[in-house]
Parts: sequence; C-alpha cells; structure tokens
Amino acid sequence: MGDLGKRCIAELAGTALLVYFGAGAAAITLMIARGTDTGTPFNIGIGALGGLGDWFAIGMAFAIVIAAVIYSMGRVSGAHINPAVTIALWATKRFPAGEAGAYIVAQLIGAALGSLLFAASAGMDAVTIGGLGATAPFPGIGYGQAILAEAIGTFVLMVVIMGIAVDKRAPPGFAGLVIGLTVGGVITTIGNITGSSLNTARTFGPYLIDSLMGGPDLWVYLPIYIIGPIAGAVIAAFFYDFITGESSAAA
Amino acid sequence: MKCYVCAQEGRSSDAVAVCIVCGMGLCREHAMREELEMWEGGYPFPAKKVKAKIPRILCPECYHALKGK
Repeated sequence: MGDLGKRCIAELAGTALLVYFGAGAAAITLMIARGTDTGTPFNIGIGALGGLGDWFAIGMAFAIVIAAVIYSMGRVSGAHINPAVTIALWATKRFPAGEAGAYIVAQLIGAALGSLLFAASAGMDAVTIGGLGATAPFPGIGYGQAILAEAIGTFVLMVVIMGIAVDKRAPPGFAGLVIGLTVGGVITTIGNITGSSLNTARTFGPYLIDSLMGGPDLWVYLPIYIIGPIAGAVIAAFFYDFITGESSAAA
Repeated sequence: MKCYVCAQEGRSSDAVAVCIVCGMGLCREHAMREELEMWEGGYPFPAKKVKAKIPRILCPECYHALKGK
C-alpha cells in the first residue's frame, strides 16, 4: 500500500475515534438525561444534569480524544480529522489538492464508521434517543446564526492550529494538548447553540448512520456544518498569515 | 590524540575520531559509526524521512551501552 493510502487509513481511524468518543459523549448525555424535566425549551437534555457542566464534560471527551489522535497519528497523516482543516491548509497552499480530496473522503468514511461502531456498542437508544450525537441548531437558533457560530468556533480552532503547529516558531510538543483543549472550550460555549461541530465529517457520520438506522433525519441542517466550519477555517488560515506577515508560499 | 582503547591494550595508535558521548579518542578500528535517521514535518503535516542521515561516532563501550548489549 502506498504512502497516501496509509495516511488515509490514519485519517479514517482518527476521525472514527473522534466521532465515537466525542459525538458518543453527547449521545450518552442525552440517554442519561432521558425523562428529566429540562425546564426550558432551549435545553434538549444536555444541560439537564449539570448545566453548562454537561457541555464541559462533552467538550473534555472531545479534547482528550483529539489530543490522543494528534499525538498518536499526527506524524503519520498530520491528523487533520476535519475536512475544514484540510481545506484551509490546501487553500493556503500548504497541502496538495489531490491528497486533500483523498483525506476528506477518508474523514467522511471514518466519521460514519465511528458512528456505526458507537451504535453497535451502545444500542438502539443511542440512535433513537441520543441521535448518535448528531449536531443541529438548538431551539430559537436560525440558520444564519448557526453558520456564524460554527464559523467563529472553527476560526478559533484553526487560528490555534496555525499558531501552535503550522508556525515553525511554535514551541514543540504542545499541539495536541492545546488544540484539544481549544475544541473543548469552544464546545462548552457554543455547544448549546449548534452542537459545536466545527467539523463537517463529525456531523456527516452521525447523520448518515442515523438515516440508515432510523434515527432523526437532520440532513436539512448539513449545509450549516459545511459552510460554517470551512469558511471559519479558511478565513483563520489567511488571517494568521496576514497578522504574522508570512506569505503562504513561505511556510 | 591517541586511541584510548588501544592504550588500554598496551598499544599506541593515533585517534581519528572522538566518542560523542564520553569524549574518548578512537582509532579507526575502535570508532563505531552510527547513522541517525532524520525526520522533517509532523502535525499537521505528515512526517517525512530525510534521505541524509546524521553520523554519530561512538566508542565501543558507549555504543554497547546505548544499544543495551
């Protein structure tokens, strides 16, 4: 198997782990909170048990698995595990177009595999009650607001990736920890706005397996999680190059 | 500089290298060359092995200690 094939397998496995443990944590929270009086329509169950602490716990599940994937597979494939990150690196001429396409396909397949494995592990309640942790705008949040929130969240993620990993002046060894914690923090704040996907693959995987296994049909919201994360990540990459005065070709 | 290992054996030979760990002078016979692989890149890019390797000269004692032999 060629080098690109092995790297795509690493991307697939990394994204599967992200969805299994990250989105899985959201599904489990909904399953635990089943039947709890949420008190407000803005609360769909996540937050019923520990308020914002529920989102913090989900954020930490994402943080830990992201750090684990970056430290274990970062040297193999780059551990993007997110099409928005791959596209932002391609847009700033840091990643070849052909490989970017292969990476994105691998990430989408990996996300679906992660959701499928979670459903197999946790049972049908994970699909019908937990929705496999699929993201959707929360009650009262409009389409445009959701895109904006996803774009801002992914902007923060990508700026941190640029600063702690892409920039050669960054201190080595901190990328996994800092990037994981950044995602955890973003989820804590905007989780109850859009589910805080920041990642098209992370949303696509649960959507696909929910559709196949009788879970909620949320496809109408998919454009939010395509436009928002990709726009936020691409803007962040160019923004970082601008404020640091580096041309994209020099990196 | 003379080879330390040869001196221990009661011989005298000129050193052509120095052990990078202990600083021992070494003749050609006792200098052990180790090639270290070099990698570039890494998160968020794949790490790639660089063709060039970094040579490291070690004395027999340090070489075997590092190799666990």
